[in-house]
Amino acid sequence: MIRFEGVSRRYGEQAAVDRVTLEVPRGSICVLLGESGSGKSTLMRMVNRLVEPSAGRVLVDGRDVAGADPEELRRGIGYVIQSVGLFPHWRVADNIATVPRLLGWEPARIAARVETLLELVGLEATLFRDRFPHELSGGQAQRVGLARALAADPPLLLMDEPFSALDPGTRRGLQVALREIHAETGKTILFVTHDVEEALALADRLAVLDQGQLVAQGRPAALLEGAAQGPVRRIFGEESLAFHRLATLPARSLARVGDADGLPMLPADATLKQALMLMLSENSARLALPAEAGFGGGTLHWTDLVTAR
Amino acid sequence: MRALLANLLLFGAAMVAAPYLGPLWHALFPEVSRPVWDSPGWFSLLGEHLMLSLGATLIAAILGLGAAILATRPAGRALRPLLDAVFSLAQAVPPVAAIALSLPLLGFGAAPTLLALVLYAALPVMRSAVGGLDAVPAPVLDAARGTGMGSARILAQVELPLALPVIQAGLRVALVLAIATTAVGAVAGARCLGTPIVTGLANGNPSWVLQGAIFTAWLALIADQALRLGLGRHSG
Repeated sequence: MIRFEGVSRRYGEQAAVDRVTLEVPRGSICVLLGESGSGKSTLMRMVNRLVEPSAGRVLVDGRDVAGADPEELRRGIGYVIQSVGLFPHWRVADNIATVPRLLGWEPARIAARVETLLELVGLEATLFRDRFPHELSGGQAQRVGLARALAADPPLLLMDEPFSALDPGTRRGLQVALREIHAETGKTILFVTHDVEEALALADRLAVLDQGQLVAQGRPAALLEGAAQGPVRRIFGEESLAFHRLATLPARSLARVGDADGLPMLPADATLKQALMLMLSENSARLALPAEAGFGGGTLHWTDLVTAR
Repeated sequence: MRALLANLLLFGAAMVAAPYLGPLWHALFPEVSRPVWDSPGWFSLLGEHLMLSLGATLIAAILGLGAAILATRPAGRALRPLLDAVFSLAQAVPPVAAIALSLPLLGFGAAPTLLALVLYAALPVMRSAVGGLDAVPAPVLDAARGTGMGSARILAQVELPLALPVIQAGLRVALVLAIATTAVGAVAGARCLGTPIVTGLANGNPSWVLQGAIFTAWLALIADQALRLGLGRHSG
């Protein structure tokens, strides 16, 4: 879906992005993870040409974006930013309708689309349609921002630290909502964050940037397997690396066949990190895993968890 | 609001009454043979005075807004200090001097007055518009660009609407400055509330001078009162 080919962006002597080659498969959530100044936002902004590369090229669907009309290109790519950037003088419905209006949709079609989207992002249409942005909470505003990005049904979403300014509870709620929307719509999402937990909660693919360079990429589990080295180790935190690794592995991978009667029950798709948290909170060294298609159910043991590699 | 309306009514009543107050002007200036100003009538002078002020404000608004838009575009940012200097200099020249300097080119009448007023009133419009456009939040502009709006559309649909309250404040200041200053135009022969003052001075008629001065000052005070009301409503 997106291919960065040897992409660099230099500001004077400084390289904000340094020879990055990366492929984002269609339908995946790819998270660009890095500390501030690592070049992750700059890299993302090259996709919709808010930043032009100094070298290399960016391909979307096999076409070099440098050959596309920037405004037309942007109307075909959803864009969500940290501070939301809702137009403060427009009502929620008008904000969401931004791109459909630019594309010249019929008013009736736009109104219907606004309703659908508000529902998709979990906001009651009759309650929120006519509000102004200043009448929304931070979480609600970002849900509207997400709806605006999805308005014209673009196949690709760019999200630049969209949940970073929200408090932890709201942020987790939106991460769950985003995963659900992703499962429902199958969009390709390029997501920028500096938050390790958020990256692991969302990513199908993870790309770690450090000082403009891509230092690791791949599936989260593979990326954290074994002893990660250098910058990756630093970004994930020396002490909590093992803990983060648990978040990348499914609980069922360590399931034993056994009697699960009376044990605390994990959700079928739980990770080992969730299993550990449940063990701690329930004071139980064993947990039950429910049966699901292709999996007969079973129990998870503390000893297996702490010796997992 | 009520105080302003009362003041306006009183002002109108005084304009109606002034020509009939012969005994009063006589008592004040017994040595003047024709103490009552009667031609052209006060309302005709007021009308021309306001036309001049409004016309000048309109032109100043176009110039000031145009300069502000230019100064806040990426391509025009380099021009900003220059534009600011030019508009500041224009305002620094006293209107009476601007009129005198433009007389040889523009002749007598409304034209030099209009020019002087435009020079005087353009700066507040430009300053406020630059301030308003600068204050549009960067994330909003980023989002506008990211959703695929062109720069003309961003200006018309996002930047100007968001800057409007600040621009309006600048326009009010410009209008009040113009109304309060227009009387000066009488020295160049523009008809306005300053006309009785200049005519009175030329003919040694202090009664006319006084009547013109009262209405000129009064109108400026009304304009100022209206301005305060408008600004107060906005900040409150």
